[in-house]
Amino acid sequence: MNLALIFLITIFSFSLFFYGRSKSKSLSIENNYKLNALPKFYGYYLVLWCSLPSLVFLLVWTLFEPTIIKSIILKIAADQGVVMQDQNAANLIYEKIKAVYLGTYFGDVDILLKESSLSYAKFKNIFTNSKIVLIFVIVISSIIYALKKIKSNNKARDDVEIILKGLLFISSLIAILTTLGIIFSLLFESIKFFSVINIFDYLFGTNWSPQRAFVRDASSITAAEYEDLKDAFGFVPLIAGTAFIAFIAMLVAVPVGLFSGIYMAEYATKKIRKVSKPIIEILAGIPTVVYGFFAALTVGPFFRQIGENFGLTVSSESALAAGLIMGIMIIPYISSLSDDVINSVPQSLRDGSYAIGATKSETIKKVVIPAALPGIIGSILLAVSRAIGETMIVVMAAGLAANLTINPLDSTTTITTQIVMILIGDQEFDSPKTQSAFALGLTLFIATLILNYIALRVVKKYREKYD
Amino acid sequence: MKHVKIKSKNLNVFYGEKQALFDVNLDLNEKEVTALIGPSGCGKSTFIRCINRMNDVIDICKISGTIEMDGVDINNKNLDVVSLRERVGMVFQKPNPFPKSIYDNISYGPKIHGKGETKSELDAIVENSLKKAALWEEVKDRLDEPGTSLSGGQQQRLCIARAISVNPEVILMDEPCSALDPIATAKIEELIDELKETYTIVIVTHSMAQAVRVSQKTGFFHLGKLIEVGKTEKIFKNPDNKMTQDYITGRFG
Amino acid sequence: MTKEQRLIKRHRAEKRFQFYGLLSIFIALLFVLVLVSNIFSKGSSAFMKTVIKTEVFYDQELLEIENGASRDDIISTDFFDVTIESLLEVFPTNGLEEEKQLINLFSTDVELEIKSVFLKNNNIIGQKIILELTASDDIDQLHKGNYPRDLPEERRRISDFQLKIFDQLVEDGKIKKNFNNYYFTKGDSRDPELAGIGGALVGSLYSILICLILSFPIAVLASIYLEEFAPKNKITEFIEININNLAAVPSIVYGLLALQILLSTIHLPRSTPLVAGITLALMTLPRIIIPCRASLKAVPPSIREGALAVGASKFQSVFHHVVPLALPGTLSGTIIGLAQALGETAPLILIGMVAFVVDIPASPIDPSASLPVQVYLWSESAERGFVEKTSATIMILLSFLIVMNFLAVYLRQKFEKRWN
Repeated sequence: MNLALIFLITIFSFSLFFYGRSKSKSLSIENNYKLNALPKFYGYYLVLWCSLPSLVFLLVWTLFEPTIIKSIILKIAADQGVVMQDQNAANLIYEKIKAVYLGTYFGDVDILLKESSLSYAKFKNIFTNSKIVLIFVIVISSIIYALKKIKSNNKARDDVEIILKGLLFISSLIAILTTLGIIFSLLFESIKFFSVINIFDYLFGTNWSPQRAFVRDASSITAAEYEDLKDAFGFVPLIAGTAFIAFIAMLVAVPVGLFSGIYMAEYATKKIRKVSKPIIEILAGIPTVVYGFFAALTVGPFFRQIGENFGLTVSSESALAAGLIMGIMIIPYISSLSDDVINSVPQSLRDGSYAIGATKSETIKKVVIPAALPGIIGSILLAVSRAIGETMIVVMAAGLAANLTINPLDSTTTITTQIVMILIGDQEFDSPKTQSAFALGLTLFIATLILNYIALRVVKKYREKYD
Repeated sequence: MKHVKIKSKNLNVFYGEKQALFDVNLDLNEKEVTALIGPSGCGKSTFIRCINRMNDVIDICKISGTIEMDGVDINNKNLDVVSLRERVGMVFQKPNPFPKSIYDNISYGPKIHGKGETKSELDAIVENSLKKAALWEEVKDRLDEPGTSLSGGQQQRLCIARAISVNPEVILMDEPCSALDPIATAKIEELIDELKETYTIVIVTHSMAQAVRVSQKTGFFHLGKLIEVGKTEKIFKNPDNKMTQDYITGRFG
Repeated sequence: MTKEQRLIKRHRAEKRFQFYGLLSIFIALLFVLVLVSNIFSKGSSAFMKTVIKTEVFYDQELLEIENGASRDDIISTDFFDVTIESLLEVFPTNGLEEEKQLINLFSTDVELEIKSVFLKNNNIIGQKIILELTASDDIDQLHKGNYPRDLPEERRRISDFQLKIFDQLVEDGKIKKNFNNYYFTKGDSRDPELAGIGGALVGSLYSILICLILSFPIAVLASIYLEEFAPKNKITEFIEININNLAAVPSIVYGLLALQILLSTIHLPRSTPLVAGITLALMTLPRIIIPCRASLKAVPPSIREGALAVGASKFQSVFHHVVPLALPGTLSGTIIGLAQALGETAPLILIGMVAFVVDIPASPIDPSASLPVQVYLWSESAERGFVEKTSATIMILLSFLIVMNFLAVYLRQKFEKRWN
């Protein structure tokens, strides 16, 4: 139905283009004045005024209609005596009401349910009809306004451009909207979480086992239950696991990435560069789920096998396997950033060093790298940020047990793994368990934000030195 | 009669297909300042870059002919370019101090060549080089500050001190004053005059007045050919070649 | 140390340094090679499926319809008895247990296969026709050599009796491999031999399409605004900081965003390409804006000034002259952004695409999976048969990505003007 409306509005508006164009021409001839813009701009003007207000209205209406109807219907149902213990039960009942309306409900329909579905039908009709009427009204009044302006010989090109510029501006606001959206969604649930679990218990707790949080409704936790709960959401093992795996990844990625970047920037011939640069870029383009599959299926068991041959117990989901593969994924980030950064060190510095009789490697080690250091550090920080935010490799290859360990042959879990594990499967709304996933997300978001901010500042200061 | 320190014989230099120097035969005497003049792009910089084999850094550069220092061909495969550059230093057109402290700028060369093992040895070398470059008094209290915090003229003197720190025999200077103001230029020219007592100096310059002021011998290059070479006084008062005469009197370049 | 010794030491250090550099590049290249060959070797077998040549007797006594029956009648008829009887003819059995084992050699879908032959040709009652019926997953894997035969029977998925039948069939030439059309046409299934990426393929297609439709126009318009029209004030700076941040936010956070706002607040249908597309679009926006802005920035001012000089408005100079020149860089950045979106898994898991979806989605608001999510789902399964399917899906995914990346690079190289 909405699609039909959009289609109609669009077709109608476009047809108005021709009307606007010819009307402006005829008006100027009739009343003997010179048009302030080419006729086609009056056409565009009319099209924009006809379509934009109504489409925006349609979008806003569609976004909010379901929620509004839902709260109306549920209120009416509650007034009529339908029992809803909590949010979950209310949702279930609402789904039943909708199903009865659609004719897809196969259970028993009691009186209350039937009445509710009739109310639903009634309100849906009211809303749909109002929507159509309002759109009609908006379109007509917009057209009247636009025609009035055309009659007054407005500077159509300028007006059209102002409207279009407005559209451009709004498009760029989407970036802010997204950030606000992220912050809102994370904060909303996190605040609910922190109203149950003390933030210090979260930040400094050393035990993470959210399966224990069987409580469905946060507001009904007794003191005894809380004693039990507050030990279940300790963040420390998660950050430890995340940091540990990221550390292993960096042990692999930094030397390999840095040396590759140095070699490609300073030593590689055009031929070698032509072949190796794209292949290293391929490493960056491989989806992380593929890395995860490879790690889980091949690398993890392989390490376990080797460990057995040496008499060691290696978990098949060892931190070593996950960290190694993550490191390989990160190599291109460090190598191409280092490549760029090293290339932008001015040749005059190298010349000064060669002229003193330094070898190429001495020049690189003692003059070029120190000069490029802020940029390189920036790239490493960005890589670390990527590592701690990485999800699929660890979900598939790292473990689920939140244990504090520094043994790379053990399995350990990360922040991102836990977020996925908590949210997969049935979610109970308003349970600390589900909310904890958002708290984890918030922590992750803040951590990567800080890392990225520092990294970009460092790289920016470095660029300013040399550009 | 001065001893010939550096001698080029039939030197031809190619950048890919383009030939930059044609059959250059030039003798440079030791402990003397030789100036190389000529219009832009005539090959002067290319020539001095051959002397310390800085052209090796450029892939497409090919040379034929020889350059000898103290009778030994420097392009010989057996000659280590790293030790050549210890003996032949270079100062560039735009001062290029390392983004390190003043102290580290000077101590860098000696350290990699193993010339100063202990701190006190290095301290002595640093002080010595800075004194020889007439910069010591100005920076002795701030050796830890970055080399890039000095003024243009001071930076160039720092670069000269850096070149001196490894105790070279020859110092090549590629238009060392073109980025400096007249006062700084004067200081450097004064310095060059002192340095010639110890080192062989070759200076590429755009300014004929400068050539007259600092050099004892001058070579005039044009379009990659060495047109005329001789005592500075002669070149500027009555040159043998008409082209030289035209250049000096400002008819071109 | 003498001078000569020192020089030798320094030159050795130089050689070592170069070696480390080359070694690092080699390690990276080696890994790509290992990964690709590993996946390829595991996945290429998925494109074939094992079939058993079986004589099927369309016995009139066991069927309730006649020749020439209508399509609807055929579909509602039970072919179970025909199937069982024909299968039991394959090998002599002794007792119920052995009969069951014989039947289990075949895929659970063989009844449908027998029925669909009849659908195509509805006058074969009374005839005995040799059909190539899909084998079960265990036989499929056995035939492809993935099951070790030398384990004791209790530790095998295939009994000794079944092995006997299998060997006999092989000897009689009744087992062969056909092209696995199921892999491309069917949706997910609990049985590996019937599992396909049809659903995931369509799901990914819809998702990427929606992502493109939403992200490309908004990203380009936003870039044009920021690069050409925005005043240099705090608001603009703030927008730019936001965009740079968003490009580096971990993808799982976008999943949380989608969960909270798209699913919980706006109540869009879970697990659908629509929601996936919107989520991916939000992620891809900054990844298009950044290269688009770079391309716009690279167009020299002389072009803009030339347009203004003939009386064009700022708007016209931008849209008629600058934007077309920035298009190759923008398009190539867009293609790369889409390639990254195609491979995204974590946010799609959070919006519910891990549901078990058997049907191919008919529209973007039907629940579906996507290619990378399908890879994840299958990799969690225990059956050996899924390993090859997962690897094959990765091969297909990687092929798409390689093509897209090549296209992006080609576009950039062929059409981008270099302003030297």
